[in-house]
Amino acid sequence: MSTVAVRMKGISKHFGGVKALDNVDFEVLSGEIHALLGGNGAGKSTILKVLNGVHVPNSGAIEVAGIPLTIHTPAASRAAGIAMNYQEMSLVPTLSVAQNVFLTRETVSNGLINDTDAERKTADLFKILEVEIDPAAIVANLGAGQKQLTEIVKAISQDARVLILDEPSTALAVSDVERLFTLLRKLKADGVAVIYVSHRMDEIARIADRATILRDGKHVTTAPIENLPIGTMIEHIVGKRSLGLADVERKSVARGDIALELRGICGRDKPRDISLSIHKGEVVGLAGLLGSGRTSLAKLIAGIEPITSGEILINEQAVNIRRPSDAIAAGVALVPEARATQGVIPDHSVADNITLAVLDKLSSAGFVNLKEICHQADAQIGNLSIKTGSRDHAVNTLSGGNQQKVVIGKWLAANPDVFVLDEPTAGIDIGSKSEIIQMVRDLASLGKAILMISSELSELLSACDRIIVMADGRAVSDIQRTALDDPGEINSNATQRLQVAEQRLQIAIQDALIEGQEVSHVSH
Amino acid sequence: MSATDTTLVTTFFKWFLANWRQNIIYIGFVVIFVVFAVTLNDRGFLNPNNLLNIVRQTTMIAVMAVAMTFVLSAGEIDLSVGAVAGLASVTVAMAISVAGPFAGIVAGLATGIAIGIFNGLLTTKVGIPSFLTTLAMMGVAKGIAMWMSDTAAVPILSQGYAWWFGGGSIGAIPVLLFWMLLFGIIGHLLLRRTSFGRRVLATGGGEQAASYSGINTAQVKFRVLVLSSSAAAIAGMLYAGRLQSGRFQLGEGDELSVIAAAVLGGTSLFGGKGTVIGTIVGALMIGLINNGLILMGLEFSQQLIARGGIIILAVALSQKRF
Repeated sequence: MSTVAVRMKGISKHFGGVKALDNVDFEVLSGEIHALLGGNGAGKSTILKVLNGVHVPNSGAIEVAGIPLTIHTPAASRAAGIAMNYQEMSLVPTLSVAQNVFLTRETVSNGLINDTDAERKTADLFKILEVEIDPAAIVANLGAGQKQLTEIVKAISQDARVLILDEPSTALAVSDVERLFTLLRKLKADGVAVIYVSHRMDEIARIADRATILRDGKHVTTAPIENLPIGTMIEHIVGKRSLGLADVERKSVARGDIALELRGICGRDKPRDISLSIHKGEVVGLAGLLGSGRTSLAKLIAGIEPITSGEILINEQAVNIRRPSDAIAAGVALVPEARATQGVIPDHSVADNITLAVLDKLSSAGFVNLKEICHQADAQIGNLSIKTGSRDHAVNTLSGGNQQKVVIGKWLAANPDVFVLDEPTAGIDIGSKSEIIQMVRDLASLGKAILMISSELSELLSACDRIIVMADGRAVSDIQRTALDDPGEINSNATQRLQVAEQRLQIAIQDALIEGQEVSHVSH
Repeated sequence: MSATDTTLVTTFFKWFLANWRQNIIYIGFVVIFVVFAVTLNDRGFLNPNNLLNIVRQTTMIAVMAVAMTFVLSAGEIDLSVGAVAGLASVTVAMAISVAGPFAGIVAGLATGIAIGIFNGLLTTKVGIPSFLTTLAMMGVAKGIAMWMSDTAAVPILSQGYAWWFGGGSIGAIPVLLFWMLLFGIIGHLLLRRTSFGRRVLATGGGEQAASYSGINTAQVKFRVLVLSSSAAAIAGMLYAGRLQSGRFQLGEGDELSVIAAAVLGGTSLFGGKGTVIGTIVGALMIGLINNGLILMGLEFSQQLIARGGIIILAVALSQKRF
């Protein structure tokens, strides 16, 4: 009979007016691996941060091993035996594995640290947990999988009884995932409670004992994994779509000539051997999980990461893209994922940001033509209906959605043929999201070719004409958007149709994962 | 040559090829020493007196550079060391003239600790980057030293103080050599073998990871800045003892040699990597270069150019991409 390791009852958490968690119950037993599932914004990371002491809940109670947890700080949670894996963030890259495991808890004799002792103790721990890493190796030289295992061992060596893993397999190769699972089974046998967050349902089906599914901040179900086939899981995760995106109209645009063509493009690690073509007026989506190579592909096209082999053609001309300026000159614009650091200069004005990429065109003899700048900025502000006090307001005074419009406006000013959008709605409220999606459709009707990456499947489904599913750096399937609609349900309303399509796309992504692994097994 | 000898030689050769960048400072030191020994032999380079002179001229830089190794390893910087050395030389000299050598030592150390506390609080509590805090402090410390001393040298008449702090020697061996060794050994153990040193390296190597592991990184930064100012004060006291006077100009511009010594030795300007032994050799190498260039009869202007060129070359060779 296993005991309850963590019991969270009636947890609610608000951020301003937004209810991130609404009366959620969550219970994890000792010696079980408990999967926590949900889409983006379902409240997974919020509930973990509450457990972990980062967020203080507005209401509800937490018990750890039967003892109420009343103080909500990271230190109090750690003292109660809860450890969260921060995806390599708690390792110092310049120190050795053993030095990291025993950081702040070094063996000291006569006032001096004994590293040999730490290495011996680390080796013992690794032996018990069947982990094969050299305790004397420098962390910076380890692979992603070894770092992950080191981090888990570090947490366990601090007597953690509850281990939280947030997407631990994202950066791992297939063989590393096996090692991770071996370690987790070992820990489970020792009575550790493991909370496992992942979007890879095949993995969850293999490793987890039970699963809890959250949606829109609410508890949907908790059940043994045998009772949750992948189809059922997806149904619970997707649920009933709220309105908002479904009403974006996807007018079909006459497809023009091919604007962007990739022939066997490879990056240093990912992506591998991607061939695709996008016509003018077409929006192509890239679906796949984190680490599937979507962002790397975007970076290759935009000249941020080097291409190791393959060819890029723009308007049927082969182009040599080696740095961002080459891509811009060839007519490619990247709207990057990290808006605040890669998209805009937050302290600079709307006008300065919009004209940043075309400064040379607006200058003569090195002097910037201020009148032209104002003219160009006003044109984009009007064109995209950017809500700002004036063109001279700093971009960081704008809302997320309007900041994103500034980034798009910056590239429109340069008049590119190809737009690459990486998570264009990240950090944008739901109302502005559909506005951005609408803008993507508008760009297509202007004859632009658009490649769009998004983790929110409903967005891809609303914006794209075609969706390419990536896994493990490869393009696994290429699906026409219309093929995801259920032909039998023509008469159902838009929300329902979107919901059905989303479930189908989810299944396609999970299938691609399995297929992607088989392909890599063969090629390695 | 026997078979084992050959394998030993190949093993060493392989090790050397894989690690020469890390050890560039030691290789460079030997190369420069040999070059000077050959070319400057007739000008007395290898004369024991000349070699001990290098030690005398290098000790103060080495003392400050050992502490700078901690500051850089923690991902911070201290530009005020030279000015603090000058100020400490003045406070120690004035306190000795009023209340004797013991009071002088206390006053000198207190000067360093006080400025270190200021630097540390401004950096960790107010949040001003240490680059700016210590840049401003450089001017403040120099100004105070000029004001207190009325820009004049303050003589030190205590022979005992002068012997212990820089002037004395045991037989032919200058006391300064012992100061350098003392700082080198304590500094090495502190950085490599104590939990304080480990916290310093962790803070500079990955501040977020360090704080997630339970390290109070602000406290670590505060401490290295106090350590650095205190070492600078001791360097100032050594200057004062060696020259039997305190003057605001002492230590002027030393911050550059101090940082160069640490970086030459293999300490990273970006934090997380530091070696005290490398720093000491780096300091000695700067002293060696200065001495050799003087013996060559170069003018001061030419010395500056040659010294800068050699330092850039050494650091460039230690970079991976080069």
